[in-house]
Amino acid sequence: MSEAISTRSEVKGNDAKAGRLKFANIGRYTLVLTLIVIIVLTAIGNPRFLSTNNLLNILFQVSALGIVAFGQTILLVSAGLDLSVGAMLSVAGIVTALTIAATGSVLLGVLAGLATGLVIGAINGMLVATNRATPFIITLGMMTFLQGVAIIISGGSPVNGTGGLFDFIGFGSLATIPYPVYVMAIVLVVVFFLLRNSVLGRYAFAIGGNEEAARLSGIPIARIKIALYAINGLIVGVAAVVLTGILDSALPNMGTGYELRAIAAVVIGGTPLVGGRGTVLGTLGGVLLLGLVSNSMNLLGIGANYQSAVLGLIITAAVILQRPR
Amino acid sequence: MVEGSENLAIEARRISKSFFGARALKAVDFSVRRGEVHGLVGKNGAGKSTLVKILAGAQPPDSGTIRVGEKTFEALDPLTCGKAGIAVVHQNAELHPELSVAANIFLGAEPRTRFGFVDEKTMAEEARKLLEQLKLDIAVERRLGDLDIAMRQQVAIAKAVREKARILLLDEPTAALNKSQADFLFDLIRDLAESGLAIVYISHHLDEVLTISNRITVLRNGEKVGVVEAGEADKESLIAMMVGRALEKTVRESVTTAFPAVILDLDAITVPEKLDDVSLSLGRGEIIGVTGLMGSGTRELAEVISGVSRASGTMTLEGKPYEPASVRDAIARGVVFIPEDMRERGLVMPMSVGGNISLAALGNLARLSWLNLGGERKAALSMSERLDLVPRAPEKEVRFLSGGNQRKALLGRAVFAGAKLFVLEEPTQGVDVEAQAQIHDHLRALAADGAGVIFMSTDLEELIALADRILVLRDGSIDATLSPVGLTPEDLLTAIQAQPSAHANTQSEPRSTKAATHV
Repeated sequence: MSEAISTRSEVKGNDAKAGRLKFANIGRYTLVLTLIVIIVLTAIGNPRFLSTNNLLNILFQVSALGIVAFGQTILLVSAGLDLSVGAMLSVAGIVTALTIAATGSVLLGVLAGLATGLVIGAINGMLVATNRATPFIITLGMMTFLQGVAIIISGGSPVNGTGGLFDFIGFGSLATIPYPVYVMAIVLVVVFFLLRNSVLGRYAFAIGGNEEAARLSGIPIARIKIALYAINGLIVGVAAVVLTGILDSALPNMGTGYELRAIAAVVIGGTPLVGGRGTVLGTLGGVLLLGLVSNSMNLLGIGANYQSAVLGLIITAAVILQRPR
Repeated sequence: MVEGSENLAIEARRISKSFFGARALKAVDFSVRRGEVHGLVGKNGAGKSTLVKILAGAQPPDSGTIRVGEKTFEALDPLTCGKAGIAVVHQNAELHPELSVAANIFLGAEPRTRFGFVDEKTMAEEARKLLEQLKLDIAVERRLGDLDIAMRQQVAIAKAVREKARILLLDEPTAALNKSQADFLFDLIRDLAESGLAIVYISHHLDEVLTISNRITVLRNGEKVGVVEAGEADKESLIAMMVGRALEKTVRESVTTAFPAVILDLDAITVPEKLDDVSLSLGRGEIIGVTGLMGSGTRELAEVISGVSRASGTMTLEGKPYEPASVRDAIARGVVFIPEDMRERGLVMPMSVGGNISLAALGNLARLSWLNLGGERKAALSMSERLDLVPRAPEKEVRFLSGGNQRKALLGRAVFAGAKLFVLEEPTQGVDVEAQAQIHDHLRALAADGAGVIFMSTDLEELIALADRILVLRDGSIDATLSPVGLTPEDLLTAIQAQPSAHANTQSEPRSTKAATHV
């Protein structure tokens, strides 16, 4: 919310004058410009890139990452952070698959996956809210712990047999758009309004902007933090169900690396790590950038060995160019 | 007056600067002689800070020139400033708390041993000599972070002297100092000026500026109104130049002493080492001012009343027991705290003005946790009008507002939260004369509507102008209760400084004792 406002006021100032500020605005739109450049270059290199099928494919591929990144946006706005989301994704996915395998009920599996995320998120929130240690360290510990849990409960191998979930999530579509894209869109809308219109969202901005001022305004900091981390956990649970459905199995390492890509997407999208600002629409842009880059490298025939390096360079460049205030 | 330019340490000519199309400075001339203390005054927004930033190399001017010694610059940057001998001592001096005093003074220019290591012994020795020469009683091996704010400032000044600064910019140097610390600083400034340094002294405290300066430059709306000899100016004439019209001198002729009901009652409030058996009762509609030297317990008293910290003893609010376990509890009972430090404790800087105003009472704007954004905007707008908050733009980020308007936004938050008891710390610190008068008027109006107001202040004039009753704290207990009627700042200061106290700051021994005898 405050994001949109500051943009407006600065643009107004720019009408008046000042060359340096125009540069700042170029920085502000780096993300959009980068996206356009990638699209144009790839489209020239491979016309198939712009086909509806391929674009839908990209959205399908980024859906789980997008969901995780939207949750992470809430935390970064409040100057929080959860590094355990990748491992949480694995654990919640495995719980989903195991529950379906044991009960034969997809619904129970989904509920179990969501509950797993919610509970782990709430525990992260409690640890962060009641300790002086930074969220970085606390959730780093949780990440390592959950990676172990994922291996223990899965026995170290994929948990197969997700039954109807796979047919629905993995193959199902409505009006040619795959279901995971709808799920991502729903989470996007929910997080957008949570941040913009809810009391909780406003408190997230206040805590991120100045925790002491928030405390002196009577905001129950600990409770709000627990709620925010729990919501993030629930959202990771949603991503876990989606990813398990897409893969038709739950792998003990299926979430590895999601935490860093999600945080990269949020930061590329303009939410600073220090909190107090941010928009989930920016995060969507960051997620699309990552998805487009992977996809175009595939279409341009860039080998897997180079992809990670190129992606890293693009993330670094985008973050450096973003918002040079 | 034409002056020999060779006598000038720094000469800025026709400096102009605009931000977003708004003129901050218009062709301002500003020069400081060698060995002179030059006061720079003006209301908030007059262009003081912009001029200081340009002189300190933090911002380039749009046009104009700056001559330092022999060299003329179009713009300065921190590096050229260092070379030209311009040093800035900020409110929050940029020092390294983990390093020793000596290491701070010699940072970046440490003496070396033959092997290239830092020569700690020589460094400590040189630092000791320098501090001795400046008559500063600070042990050079102490960790800077362990020093109080006054001593840290002295170290920053010593560092500037070590760097052979010829021009020293002091920006609100007494903001966090008590009277004796400030007097000590003044003596130091005089000594430095005598040794040939040019000193620019920027402050809202006109008395201080008049006391310490040789000449004073007054800015108004980005233009230079004039330069006056301090000996020929007084507070009224400076205010007239700053505001453009003379203000009535504030003399309290009468105060209300009878109030219909008691809103807050404190009985034997005690916090070990901080507050000792404080009892008081605040009437509905009453404004109590609390003052005292640093460490006298004013802050702790404010925090106990507003639920920030706990104390033994009993508190009663509107006739019912009042035991806030948190700020949240206090706000729920209508007690709202407005802290002194807006940046660290008060405002959420990246948030809009409206968001800051509504923050403590979002429940009033929400149904089922869903915020009524249109209602919020409307409420913030009417609060802005009620409190003369400029600009009337609730969506603007609060960090873009001037200090006075930021304080009004904080006050607005308390009013919007439905406060019945306002607990304020330094309600107008760093605020210009006009905004101060407005904030005082608003507090009086709130009291007239039946609220209780208790404010902590070290501003003598403010205490006399605003309070119905003034409490002087010493070592955590109420030492005197004064009526502002007929009270002069001198009387009040004498009461505050009444007798040497065991807990008072004693670190600047050699000079503070000397300063105390001035009072």
